[in-house]
Amino acid sequence: VELTDADLVARVLVNDDQHAFGELVRRHQSAVRGLLRQLTRTDVALADDLAQQAFLRAYKNIRSFRGEARFSTWLYRIAYNCFREDARRRKELVGIDEEQLQTQHDPQVANPGLRHDLMRALSLLPLNERSAVLLCCQNGLSHDEAARVLDIPLGTVKTNVLRGREKLKRMLADWGLN
Amino acid sequence: MKQVNQEDWLDRELREAAPYIDDEGFTTRVLQQLPPPRRGHDLLRAAILLGMTLLASVLAYVVSGGGRFVSVTLERLVALPVLWVFVLALVSGLVVAAAGAVAAISRDRAVQPSLLRT
Repeated sequence: VELTDADLVARVLVNDDQHAFGELVRRHQSAVRGLLRQLTRTDVALADDLAQQAFLRAYKNIRSFRGEARFSTWLYRIAYNCFREDARRRKELVGIDEEQLQTQHDPQVANPGLRHDLMRALSLLPLNERSAVLLCCQNGLSHDEAARVLDIPLGTVKTNVLRGREKLKRMLADWGLN
Repeated sequence: MKQVNQEDWLDRELREAAPYIDDEGFTTRVLQQLPPPRRGHDLLRAAILLGMTLLASVLAYVVSGGGRFVSVTLERLVALPVLWVFVLALVSGLVVAAAGAVAAISRDRAVQPSLLRT
């Protein structure tokens, strides 16, 4: 029988079982690294560094995991905090505004595929909308879970998801979505 | 309805645009950076607790005049009516059970699943 995340966390808590923590890392590394790659605008090296930081921080603070949320939600929150702290250091927290979106999106440029355009459009969204869309639409978190991860009010998450989706649809208009 | 289909399509594309990322040594790198397990600290803590318990027991024995209070208390208990002894035992048992229940409930929820299985 496969152990649940809660079982593995319990083993880490009670026995300081690093093999159990390794299993948690194996289970969630793809999602965490994927989220961070999108947040860092596909800077793979930076995203993986931040993911490592996030898992190390999770291990050191695992006693603060109360089991009230899913382990993955708690992990996303740590990963997002790592990203924010790094972004503050790099002063990259300022989002891209509407004007930039218009000038950066050039439909005449050859599109190798819809997915490429989608990822490009996603990377052009302001951070608050990108984060909300990534968590809710790509990673399947509920609005409430996303609000916990991003540490913002539930209503703000809903607004950011709505705005982000609208902008994505607008930027993908050439594909006949609208 | 058309709007709903478009949103489904966008969600599906977003999900499929995030393929599984192979581990490629990532987990190993994370595990290599973990601090060493804290077993040494646990053993030290257990040794300190055991030592303090022994010391306190010896002190209590010496201070109480060789544990004479135990025999005195037993003599008083024997002199008590049977009903009183029964009530005293019952109340003591209930207090201990309640304290155990409170301790178990207040324990970290994350630990509870494994404790229930073992």
